Amino acid sequence: MTANTLSPPARVLVTKIGLDGHDRGSRIVAAYLRDAGMEVIYTPPWQSVLGVVKLAMEEDVDVIGVSSLATDHLIVPKLMAALRQAGLGHIGMVVGGIIPEDERPALIQAGVSAIFGPGSARDDIIAHVGALAGEARDKRNAELREIAQ
Amino acid sequence: MTQEAVQLSLPGFEQAHGRWRAEYGQQIGSDRVIKNRSRIEIKPLYTPRDWNGDAFLENLGFPGQYPFTRGIYPTMHRGRTWTQRQLIGLGTPEDYNKRVRIILDAGATAISLLPCNSSFRGVDCDEVDPILLGTCGTVINTTDHMDRALDGVPLGRISTAMNDPSPFTLLAFTLGVAKKRGIPWTSISGTSNQSDYLSHFIANHMFYRLSLPGSRRVLLDHIEFCRKHVPNWNPVSVVGQHMQQAGATPVETMAFTISTALQYAQDCIDRGMDIDLVLRRFTFFFDISISFFEEVAKFRAGRRIWARLARERLGAKDPGSWRFKFHGQTSGVDLTEQQPLNNIARVAVQAMAGIMSGLQSLHTDAYDEAITTPTEETARIAVATQNILREEAHLCDVIDPLGGSYYVETLTDQMEQEMVALIGKIDDAGGMYKAAESGVIQSMIGESALAFQERVEAGDEKVIGVNCYQIDETDRRGRPTERPDPERMEEHVARFKAYKAERSQADVSRALDALGRAANSARENVYERIVEAAEAGVTHGEIVSLLRRELGFGHPLVMV
Amino acid sequence: MHDDVVDKLIAGDSPTLARCITLMEAGGPTADLIHQRICRHVGRAAVIGFTGAPGAGKSTLIDAYIGVLRARGLKVAVAAVDPSSPISGGAILGDRVRMRRHAEDCGVFIRSVASRGHLGGLSESIHRIVDVMDAAGRDFIIIETVGTGQSEVEVAEIADLCVVVNAPNMGDDVQAMKAGVLEIADVLVVNKADLPLARRTTEQLKNMLKLRRERLDVPVIETVATKETGIEALHETIAGLLTTATGDKQKTRERRMRRLIAESAGRIVHGRIRDAAGGELEDLVKTAASGEIGITEAARRALKTVL
Repeated sequence: MTANTLSPPARVLVTKIGLDGHDRGSRIVAAYLRDAGMEVIYTPPWQSVLGVVKLAMEEDVDVIGVSSLATDHLIVPKLMAALRQAGLGHIGMVVGGIIPEDERPALIQAGVSAIFGPGSARDDIIAHVGALAGEARDKRNAELREIAQ
Repeated sequence: MTQEAVQLSLPGFEQAHGRWRAEYGQQIGSDRVIKNRSRIEIKPLYTPRDWNGDAFLENLGFPGQYPFTRGIYPTMHRGRTWTQRQLIGLGTPEDYNKRVRIILDAGATAISLLPCNSSFRGVDCDEVDPILLGTCGTVINTTDHMDRALDGVPLGRISTAMNDPSPFTLLAFTLGVAKKRGIPWTSISGTSNQSDYLSHFIANHMFYRLSLPGSRRVLLDHIEFCRKHVPNWNPVSVVGQHMQQAGATPVETMAFTISTALQYAQDCIDRGMDIDLVLRRFTFFFDISISFFEEVAKFRAGRRIWARLARERLGAKDPGSWRFKFHGQTSGVDLTEQQPLNNIARVAVQAMAGIMSGLQSLHTDAYDEAITTPTEETARIAVATQNILREEAHLCDVIDPLGGSYYVETLTDQMEQEMVALIGKIDDAGGMYKAAESGVIQSMIGESALAFQERVEAGDEKVIGVNCYQIDETDRRGRPTERPDPERMEEHVARFKAYKAERSQADVSRALDALGRAANSARENVYERIVEAAEAGVTHGEIVSLLRRELGFGHPLVMV
Repeated sequence: MHDDVVDKLIAGDSPTLARCITLMEAGGPTADLIHQRICRHVGRAAVIGFTGAPGAGKSTLIDAYIGVLRARGLKVAVAAVDPSSPISGGAILGDRVRMRRHAEDCGVFIRSVASRGHLGGLSESIHRIVDVMDAAGRDFIIIETVGTGQSEVEVAEIADLCVVVNAPNMGDDVQAMKAGVLEIADVLVVNKADLPLARRTTEQLKNMLKLRRERLDVPVIETVATKETGIEALHETIAGLLTTATGDKQKTRERRMRRLIAESAGRIVHGRIRDAAGGELEDLVKTAASGEIGITEAARRALKTVL
């Protein structure tokens, strides 16, 4: 188990948008991230895009992990556009669950950093999310410095 | 039960056993402790020393006789094969109708209906992003939609399973259709497959719509309504599937499910219902994992426990009330995205376990079920699997073929012991409703899920293609994903909007007012008003949102 | 830049509020500076603590209560506190999603706060978080805690008043609840009041109050949060208590400030003693370890050394 080295701890939102409600996977990932020292805001299924944007803003999250089955991943690009519009483009994004091969490139193009299918190793997920959180912080701090100048 | 069997007077037994043990020890090399999913230790060999069939009548008996360990009917599958009931649902009502006619034409007498995820969420099709509609189930929001979905389906002659949680609008729509077609409700048969609100609260939040007390009220009203007006309908299906899929071990799953059934039975008794009339319409719904022998033992133990509890604890007098009727579905959780064709083998093994456990109906997953709604081809293979097991492997010829196996009988006894202990713990916690409310069940399931995942991570639990025997699948040809036709769906939604504008607003308001009043009354039957509302043209979303307002929105207790 | 941040904050800009909360949680000189600058703008908001054991329906109640506040056009902020794992330092923050109705309402700002190893169980920065929410113009600030005992006492120091939520049929009777938690209550709520044993729970609470020597007149309100019954009555009670407490608001703030100063001082001294190298302190430690002097005496001497 790799420990998260960010201080203060990385803040990660684990959520489900769209209509699917199976959350065994997202609950396990949330537990992994907590055990790796991160603060995880965990939501049940059926969150709206607007709700997620508001949550991400208020909670000042570093990374969002979307758990998706069926066609829910198809609205991830919409979520990312909404985040950018709200000035939250620095937040890292990963998607987990079942995403058909032919629909993955579109997600990567929209800015999703990684897609974790079932059977992904715990340590890989933790390492990637941790690194992404660090990047998000750096990006945000750079933005703030720019504004200050 | 699991104590050392009475000393056998088998001459030479001890000596031979000792010799085997010695030779085994020498040759096995590095042995290790093996435990099944319920964390029961499994030995390399079972002998009459473990189980020798004493108390045969008390613990096993004959099929169709209390305690039904060997089967709930005298003939079981040799007399009448298990019902093949494949879950289907996708797209528009017309898409569903096309599929269901194929199944009926092939001679099926039982169908099922899986509604769209938007429906589970409690909304109508015009309230969600259209890209999400109809991908996992059929969009049915009104009686009119149900009529089109069941076009040409002989409602009075087949059995329908509705995958429909509280407040059971799908059945309401079906009854509306039956009325329209002049089919008496007394000839409508089938099951409310997702009436188990506790299992939803605990382990499948997608199906959880109304608050706990609200769900309790609607279920009891639903049971009473069906008993009076739709006597051949099973209003209660107690579901073990969600909990096992969420990570509960087989022992936990059976114990929790039986505790839930006890809770519902008690609620009915508290309402003054006749327990025998209630229990004969109780059915159960389980996942079948690939832990072959464990599943067989799980179901045999469950049958025995239920028979005893129904008779001794609930005081049911009719032997029909003691019968543990269950539908099994092969577990999608064991299937992998990697090397998907392997799943055909997995499903065959799971189906075998279910058949040899003596289930009453079976759904076999398509090999790509974990990824997408099955295509016609993959659905056909799933059905062929059942046919092969029946016709070629002759799994129907003998009732309870694993009965008498030293291993299976010992394991059945062991699992029964643990289940009974767990049921006792839930009793101490005040029953399943209270236990679920407090979150203790959810915590236990979460722990089991995490423990299992950790074993997979460590490679202790082997999954072919995932943590062993992997192949490079980076250039895996993705089959273009089947999606409902967007134009047809658009048209369906447009037609729905037009329908809402054209129906009688007066009828709708009246029906909704009546429903609201019933929800706020102590004695009126809420479900009766739901059925009336469906007839008056009220939509699924309208019914659910009213009930959420009056009876409480269902917020599941999320435990990580 | 700090001017810019402070201006935006007191203008009520939510993203700025979010960033400030992060800053306050992290602590440090920037946090101190900003906190100093906003002190002038603090003191308008009503700060209400909500606590209760899991299963009492506290989050559902808060969700309904926020609805009542919003109906009156009031702006709300919520700090939902959850414990951090003492082993990993991580946390699962899952309270805010119970406030479903307000998921898209910008008039309700919700922040999940992990306790982050604060010895008392409550984030040491919660004080500052409340201040920035206050300065951002929120009318009502709700602090939600889990009800384990220690954090509630701390909330009582920050909040203008504390609501303790009970429910009938929760295991044993009211007496089982940790005494300290009930003592800090300014309002007692019996939620799930539609359950058969609710009346008995209300009676038990009232009887318990009668046995007290002081603060016998704590109101006991019955609610059914899922049906939004009794919430208006709850608000009226809270509003009434708040008006009588305005005089005390300054006292509450000063009490809070004293605590902040004490904690900050404690941190400074703690760090110095722990990190100090060289002669005098090391000898002192050896002397205490051998039992020549007691720990209290050693502490007094250490203070003289590091200050």
